[in-house]
Amino acid sequence: MLRSLLVFIILLSSISAHPVIFKNGKVFWVSQTPSFNDIRFGVSQTSNWLIGGRVLEDRKSNETFALINNNYLAKRWNSRNSQANIYLLSSVGVNTKNSKSMGTFGVHGDWENRQLMGMQMLEYYSHTSSWVSSSRLAYSPYTVDYSKMSTWLIAEYQVEYNDNNLSYMFIPIVRLFKNNYLFEIGSNGDNSFLSFMIHF
Amino acid sequence: MKKYIKHVLLLTLFLNLGFSQSKVAIQDKEIQLNDNEAVIEVLGMVCSMCAFGIGEGFAKTDFIDKSKFNDGVMVDIDAQYVQLALNKSSNINPENIVKVIEEAGYDVNALFILQDKKLTKFSFDKLGILQPMAFNQASDQKYSLAN
Repeated sequence: MLRSLLVFIILLSSISAHPVIFKNGKVFWVSQTPSFNDIRFGVSQTSNWLIGGRVLEDRKSNETFALINNNYLAKRWNSRNSQANIYLLSSVGVNTKNSKSMGTFGVHGDWENRQLMGMQMLEYYSHTSSWVSSSRLAYSPYTVDYSKMSTWLIAEYQVEYNDNNLSYMFIPIVRLFKNNYLFEIGSNGDNSFLSFMIHF
Repeated sequence: MKKYIKHVLLLTLFLNLGFSQSKVAIQDKEIQLNDNEAVIEVLGMVCSMCAFGIGEGFAKTDFIDKSKFNDGVMVDIDAQYVQLALNKSSNINPENIVKVIEEAGYDVNALFILQDKKLTKFSFDKLGILQPMAFNQASDQKYSLAN
């Protein structure tokens, strides 16, 4: 079973990809969630495949992983004033202390227009055998030209399934967006969320 | 009747060839187009990072006149179009423009190029092949020429 899973992860890694950006575009992304500290750098080889490196720290187990990250845009629907996407996500690598292999894979779907956004992501983490489901609904109270600051109000709901245990978390997040910079900050009193992304 | 059609066609041809400015409408927004400019209606361009990627893509090409707009590119996310300043000396291949948009991850709905005082509209046919479309002012009031 584990072998099949690893083969699947490697297969995903070999085909894949994003969130993905424009061809030859680079992305640097740092985030801190209640579960992980995550630093990523990637280069979009095509408009639907991004590959890069990732350092992932599990804040609960104090383990750190060095990973190769793949994001693959499986399908995009471009419409007037809206866009929808399905991405396949994967990371494979090792624990930096004991070189034990580790992998993640997931599926991400989203739809957005200038003022509304919905997102659903499901990810599997092999080191804890856990599944994490993240759902987001977002609203931008105003629309602006791309050179001005855009604001999104996001409601994120996360469910983690691990060892027959389910845990839930709701966290409100504010996203600020200008040119090629994105910054997100959120808190629910007990947990906080931070994210910074730049495309170049 | 034939004479009338002939006059309309000649007038259309004259208008197409004789002016250095045009107006096109995208999503009900009227856009003024000068000679050596292009306007692209882009599908799926909903955020500033989308616009950034498109600008970066055109910056790497050799057919953009970077002295105009923002390094030769003007993006309007609200009306979902990109306006380009084109080098006068370049023989523009519309497929190269479409390629930049597609490599940024978006789709082209329509492309207008005004070059050598001739306005040409391109869009995809049923087979997905980019084709120049006949410009007919009488039947396509949306796209008008102006002096």
